Amino acid sequence: MNSKMKVNIFFLLINLLAFSQTELYSSFTISKDLANQANAVIRSNDININLKSSNEMLVVQKRIITVLNKNGNDAVDAYAYYDDVTKIKALEAVVYNASGSQIKKIKKNDFKDVSAVNGGTLYSDSRVKYLEYTPITYPYTIEFTCEVSTSNTAFIDSFRPIEGYFVSTENSSYTIDFPEGFTILTKVKNFTDDVLKKSEGANKIHYEVKNLAALKPEMYSPSFFDIAPKVLLRSTHFTLEGVETTVENWNDFGKWMYNDLIKDTHDLPQSTILEIQELVKNENTDLDKAKKIYQYVQDKTRYISVQVGIGGWKPFNASEVDRLGYGDCKALTNYTMTLLHAAGVKSNYVVVYSKDGQRSLEKDFASIQGDHVILNIPQETGEDIWLECTSQKLPFGFIGDFTDDRDVLVVSSEGGKIQHTKKYEVDESLQIIKGHYSISKDGLIEAKATFQSKGIQYDNKYWLETETERELDKHYKNRWGYINDITIKDMRLHNNKDQIEFIEDISFQGDNYSKIIGDRMLVHVNAFNRNEHVPDRYRNRKLPLKVKRGFKDLDEVEIKIPADYVVESLPKNNSIENKFGVYKTEVIVKDEHTLVYKREFTIKDGEFPKEDYTAFRDFYKTVARQDNAKIALIKS
Amino acid sequence: MKNIVLFMGLIFALSLPAQDYEFGDISKEELKEAYSPIDSNASASYLYTYRKTYVDYQQSTGFQLVTEVHERIKIYNKEGLDYATKSVKLYKSGNDDEQILGIKGYTYSLVGDEIIKNKLKKDGIFKTELSKYRNEVKFTMPNANEGSVIEYKYRVNSPFVTNVDEFVFQHDIPVKKLKAKFASPEYFNFKLNTKGYMAVAPHVERKPGKITLNNKSRTGGSSLTDAVRTTYSSENIDFITTVSTYELENIPALIQEPFVNNIDNYRSAVKYELSYTQFPNSGTENYSTTWEDVIKKIYQSSSFGDELSKTSYFKDDIDALIADVSDPMTRASRIYNFVKNRIKWNGYNGYLVDEGVKKAYKSQVGNVAEINLMLTAMLNYAGVKAYPVLVSTRQHGVPLFPTREGFNYVITYVKEVNQSFLLDATSDYCLPNILPFRALNWQGRIITEHGNSQLIDLYPSDLSKNVYSVMVKMDSEGTISGGYRSMKTGHSALDYRIKYNNRDEDEYLEDLENKYGGLEVSDFSVKNENDLTKPVMESYKFVKEAQADKIGDKLYFSPMFYFKMDENPFKLEQRDYPIDFGYPSKNTYKITINIPEGYEIQELPKGAAVALPDNLGIFKYNVLAKDRNIQLIVSTQINSAIVTPNHYEILKMYISQLVEKEAEQIVISKV
Repeated sequence: MNSKMKVNIFFLLINLLAFSQTELYSSFTISKDLANQANAVIRSNDININLKSSNEMLVVQKRIITVLNKNGNDAVDAYAYYDDVTKIKALEAVVYNASGSQIKKIKKNDFKDVSAVNGGTLYSDSRVKYLEYTPITYPYTIEFTCEVSTSNTAFIDSFRPIEGYFVSTENSSYTIDFPEGFTILTKVKNFTDDVLKKSEGANKIHYEVKNLAALKPEMYSPSFFDIAPKVLLRSTHFTLEGVETTVENWNDFGKWMYNDLIKDTHDLPQSTILEIQELVKNENTDLDKAKKIYQYVQDKTRYISVQVGIGGWKPFNASEVDRLGYGDCKALTNYTMTLLHAAGVKSNYVVVYSKDGQRSLEKDFASIQGDHVILNIPQETGEDIWLECTSQKLPFGFIGDFTDDRDVLVVSSEGGKIQHTKKYEVDESLQIIKGHYSISKDGLIEAKATFQSKGIQYDNKYWLETETERELDKHYKNRWGYINDITIKDMRLHNNKDQIEFIEDISFQGDNYSKIIGDRMLVHVNAFNRNEHVPDRYRNRKLPLKVKRGFKDLDEVEIKIPADYVVESLPKNNSIENKFGVYKTEVIVKDEHTLVYKREFTIKDGEFPKEDYTAFRDFYKTVARQDNAKIALIKS
Repeated sequence: MKNIVLFMGLIFALSLPAQDYEFGDISKEELKEAYSPIDSNASASYLYTYRKTYVDYQQSTGFQLVTEVHERIKIYNKEGLDYATKSVKLYKSGNDDEQILGIKGYTYSLVGDEIIKNKLKKDGIFKTELSKYRNEVKFTMPNANEGSVIEYKYRVNSPFVTNVDEFVFQHDIPVKKLKAKFASPEYFNFKLNTKGYMAVAPHVERKPGKITLNNKSRTGGSSLTDAVRTTYSSENIDFITTVSTYELENIPALIQEPFVNNIDNYRSAVKYELSYTQFPNSGTENYSTTWEDVIKKIYQSSSFGDELSKTSYFKDDIDALIADVSDPMTRASRIYNFVKNRIKWNGYNGYLVDEGVKKAYKSQVGNVAEINLMLTAMLNYAGVKAYPVLVSTRQHGVPLFPTREGFNYVITYVKEVNQSFLLDATSDYCLPNILPFRALNWQGRIITEHGNSQLIDLYPSDLSKNVYSVMVKMDSEGTISGGYRSMKTGHSALDYRIKYNNRDEDEYLEDLENKYGGLEVSDFSVKNENDLTKPVMESYKFVKEAQADKIGDKLYFSPMFYFKMDENPFKLEQRDYPIDFGYPSKNTYKITINIPEGYEIQELPKGAAVALPDNLGIFKYNVLAKDRNIQLIVSTQINSAIVTPNHYEILKMYISQLVEKEAEQIVISKV
């Protein structure tokens, strides 16, 4: 097919679309498959991007969406962001009732205009105009048109026909026009079968999909970005904040970041350089030096979010952080890096997607990605070290579930490369309980145990160190919520940052822990660590099973039973090992009134087909049931 | 109250010799202080907080409100660093806006024995336009750290003289020393309202004040020899300024507790509200002084009273709606349903209309005032006696003193010969006397004829009822199966309808199953979910495994199964604030259990009844058995929406006993 033909077909498609549009204003024309499990249906969403040059881009969006119920209101998504280099040229919304008659028109000036600062941000120069509309009845349809021009061409919208859970898509199209000589690269993700239609012309690419059913979130499934279909696009030639560049791959991208955004921010006053050199003069290894410096940064600085210009891709100067004692992730990472450099330790600036979803940067697609910055200290032997510079509390080299186990971009003067961050293995994410409890003849429990937590389990607990006594009391009462009338007697916490382990020494007591029934007494054998969690049941599981992080619990508890009772029966021992994990319990009779309860519960991380979900849930069900097992005592 | 007085006495007895809090006069003791002597758990504390607000006159701008703030904060740990960033909200309206001036700040830290001082510079100050009505200025202190003391001061000039922000005395962190002043010239008369559990009283002084008006006049210039002369004259106006001063020390932090209506109700604060103005050579203009004045003022406001008297916009529709009925209750019910169906609430509160009833009627969308004032007007038009009721929502706090800002919501009161009730048409599932949860907040003010008013209780007195009937068949493995039916009335029904009707049924079912970890539900059905005249009924069949412990040849189980209350929500040892349940309620469980064949009943829990004092509530537990059948009837009842804190201990104990009793086991054994 020659390119002229392609162009013709392309225009034909556009015409067809325009022809059928009026039908889309009515809610009655939605097919059953699309309405199923959807709170809203995108009737059509047409994005036209006109990349006029490397520093001029026009984005025109026309979106028709039918909202089926109250929970679909957010999917209208009639937002238009703007800032110093991004201007809104046109903005309008028209509301239609269920039968498709127009009931309201909202002009640009009637959109609410607010700062795009969220609660946690100190300052941002980005602003947003958004539609505030109260529906009178459901369903209703909104046609939203928006035209924005910008001189930043580093971010080209992806084609994302599915935008969120519970929203289905009838038609979605995406067109990009670009100048002669420009290269537009694309990457297609998560499309099943051949739903994605692509047509290509000279200096033009067009995508289109039809009839995508709504996705529904399910427990223990891959994150949304790992399942939602999308096409990523980028121009190899682009401008960010007036800086023009050409990027072929991650190496180029890293070079550009290093040279244009980072390199000239590494200034420090001589006094600080001397202070740092003094600080580390007795440390022999780079690692020890880095530890000292990380502590220095944690003591000196605090995290404050300041978003200036496109989420501010350029960090503040190191000297600024040095003077002010605060900064955002970029500033604090850059500052730490500069201090390390002053001590002769090499480190690299790392761009990453944060949060516990373990989102990776696209290995083979070099575009602006990520939402956070951390630091990498390369190691000749063994695993590299990763530092979270916005935390004043995390131990050296510990990144927790915020940035673990994912592909990230490591930037250095040589360029950029994709590396994988630390993964916390099952055996590393360990909790060991050693404890004992005794039961009185009235059923009162007195218990004391030591909890030692590492890896991801450390991450779940280290923050307790700085909680107030009041809050801790509440925390432990909730942890053992299944013990009525619990009183926490003693709490001693130790955060061993060197070993990266968290130690809790806790003792408590609870009235009526055991149930007295006539001559018998029932005692829940597992007092400290009862798993009550059972994964949700789905009538029709759609998504694969994914356990993002594993863990291992080892418990050993000595139990003293009251003097005037003897054991009538013990819970059965368990020994289950399967692909999801391990569950083993054992009750050993030490003497007439002393028992020892041993338990191992391990969940492995991994990905499994959706058919395995029921078995996984059954495993948890068994654990929940056996963790609830009781010892029966009888009066002697 | 006795305790509080005693407590206050203690505070003053502890107070130390006066310390000066000159700006910049930071002591090493302050920097060395490792924890707050008032509360060792505090992450930060105000060492000193000063605010002076006064009405000022400038010839060029006229009267304005000036607020000077000076705060000194000690940071004990990393959590306390949140206080190193200060946010100041500034209001604007049309061309008037509040301005912040003279921000000055320093961070002090102790390095060795030396005090290091860091100045707040321009790059630490950020201004953001939040919306059409609000700007925000934030500043963040340089090099603030554990142990640091930060200090800043600034001034806000406001053209909104009548709107004085609350003086807040109690914060989420303790305050060592507080000084607050409010000064206004005699032309403005402000009324003082105080709230909170801490008693505070100002020291009031009257001081002379003076305004100097400068005049400039020119004469001459009529001929070459007549030089231009400028003469200056000035005129003094003397007046009296009233200055109220508060000095407090060692104020404890305010701690959030569960089941508190709104913690701000208990936060110690004072509010100055303009009651009248009287300028020389002109009359008195009243703003608010008594409840009567407040109500009159609201009533006379064009966005309230006038909106009540408009009828033309709905006349034809209402005429048609009620033409065939004359009974006032039938008319009321038709109109109430008509408004609920026609006008949707846009989510905004307020007792004043925004766009007006006419426009709201036409566009079918309105704020609370538009909807409920329209409802009131329609009812009156139809010959049903109806009045607006001013309300403060739970989130807005309790209006303890006569202020216009004390209210933020309005509902409707219908008073006919034999019946009277409250209506709110902003929520689809509301009914007469069944108001949305947000409006259940102590008392409202009914505005009767001519703008008079009277109080009315907003908390419902009728019990909202839940009746559960469950038939259970147990097998020898401890799996139970059976049928479930529930019937809900009042607020329980309202809550259910909101939850159920806004969801996809599959979603609802999955939530139901997962809430009870592994419950499997079939034959699900709901009746009367939209017929508000009847109780809402839910029924389903269920299967749930592992509901009994099999030990030897015996089965042990709680006959409440998954319906039992597992945890006492009251965990704190003591409590200062009332417990707010929102509405009184009664739950009844009728559970019939059929035990597996080949088993006989060995042990049954005993019947019990536990009552709370003052008829606050009662718990009853009855169990009967015959052959292989067990019948259990359990009821729990709380008769009051509010339980005062003096009953906290006994309430906590009561619930603990309830949890205990519900967990009691039945033992059955093989024959």
